[in-house]
Amino acid sequence: MNLKKYATLTKAGIIESLQFRLGTFVMIVGNLLYLIVVYYLWKAIYASAGTDVVNGMTFTDTLIYLVLATALFNFMEMYTVWYIGRDIQSGKIVLDLLKPMDYRSYIFWSYSGEFVTNFVYTFLPTFIIVAVVTKGAISFGSNLVFFVISVVIGISINYSIDFIVATICLYTESIWGINIMKQVIVLLLSGATVPLAFFPEPFKTITFYLPFQSIYNAPLSILLNAHQDLLSVARVIGTQLIWCIVLTVISKLFWKASLRQITVNGG
Amino acid sequence: MKKKDLRFYLRIYFKILAQDLKSKMSYRADFIISTIGMIFTNIAGFVSFWIIFRNFPSINGWSYYEMLFLYGFSLIALTPVQCLFDNNWNLRIAVYSGDFIKYCFRPVNLFFYYQSEVFDIKGLGQLAFGIGTLAYSWHHLGLGFDILMLLKLIVFLISASVVMVALQNAAAATCFWIQNSFYVLDLVTRFKDYAKYPITIFSPVFRFIFTFIMPIAFIAYYPSLVILRPDNIEILSLFSPVIAVVFFWISYKIWMHGALRYNGTGS
Repeated sequence: MNLKKYATLTKAGIIESLQFRLGTFVMIVGNLLYLIVVYYLWKAIYASAGTDVVNGMTFTDTLIYLVLATALFNFMEMYTVWYIGRDIQSGKIVLDLLKPMDYRSYIFWSYSGEFVTNFVYTFLPTFIIVAVVTKGAISFGSNLVFFVISVVIGISINYSIDFIVATICLYTESIWGINIMKQVIVLLLSGATVPLAFFPEPFKTITFYLPFQSIYNAPLSILLNAHQDLLSVARVIGTQLIWCIVLTVISKLFWKASLRQITVNGG
Repeated sequence: MKKKDLRFYLRIYFKILAQDLKSKMSYRADFIISTIGMIFTNIAGFVSFWIIFRNFPSINGWSYYEMLFLYGFSLIALTPVQCLFDNNWNLRIAVYSGDFIKYCFRPVNLFFYYQSEVFDIKGLGQLAFGIGTLAYSWHHLGLGFDILMLLKLIVFLISASVVMVALQNAAAATCFWIQNSFYVLDLVTRFKDYAKYPITIFSPVFRFIFTFIMPIAFIAYYPSLVILRPDNIEILSLFSPVIAVVFFWISYKIWMHGALRYNGTGS
């Protein structure tokens, strides 16, 4: 397998995103302000609750969960739908389709550079701040390794969902509406807005049968429950893997079937 | 030259608006999907709100219905910025591509002409949702209703909207000075989501920041107090119309200052 072409795309992506230093700065500031809002909001919520543990989660658990969910979101959000949508509207997609690389992988790898920079600029600082603020509530052990594995699968699932949604854009030629629907559903059902533990039944059970919880909830639950036995960790990652394979296949087949649909308005 | 009075501007406004609506209607599928997307966003916002309150009876002395009131209030207050000033999102692209120069040659107020070009109908769904939420919580709080209260509500809703419009104008205007102003605008937009929480949950430092530097507290909290807790109004609540005008004036000056020093791209 020729890995060099992928590495080149990643490198180009890193260099490209380093160009926009101000954007990165604003993103870091925005992230910090967001941390502050979430911290005070949930502190007030827990102060009014009267008990320290709600639905098996303490204030620190909730804080870590929500903050890292957002950090993961910022780091995983690839704006694939926007990118492909714009490609379709402008006609640039024709050029990308002609490239000697599968379109799906091309888009993924040309974005991968930003994964690297986003990881260093937003995820890592957030992680460190949270670890310091919560005074060692995150335990550093084997769970960290499983967390990383789980995040990587999460990225793949997220990308497949994005790609399926982007393929729908071929038919509708509507980007904003489709994308916002996807974003709302993913953020809510993956636990990024409110931890899934707070969901009332039967919604909680339903979310566990959907692929979305595999994106954010799965890695975060592995990170937070440091003393889980290997079997339950394996179950979480296994579920993720199944979704990962299913969605990859669906997105590839759907794309293949839809490619004939493309109407390019000039170029 | 004929003096351009308010009537003149209104007439022009509706003419430009009609053109925009016509062009939007030619993409009917996109319009319908976008509207559904907007409804999705509102429902998801409400669901996460509902989930939190199922677990916690109150936040910092604010009951469920009072929080719902703030939520509905903020939704209504955020409608004008969504409907009438949506073109701010395109400002960056217009400035970058050089299209902005065309606005500089029109014999009407630059700011007015630019903003009137786009009317975002999707926002009307949010308005309906907001009114519904507000009416529902109003009823459950047993606030009573008379003409004076309605007047107060309207005045304070308008001043709340103006604050948000001012924030967005200022954020959008940064594109005249910096390249990647999308992040600034995105940051400000994300902050409006926190407007629905009572400012009292924050520490004094952030209370100050959210009141005077990033005045999101004026979008729902301060103006709502006038209706919700009339016996215990903060002095800032009563001043919120004045503050709104001041903020708007500042943002207008920043916007115009940037627009007037625009040189075009030479193309």
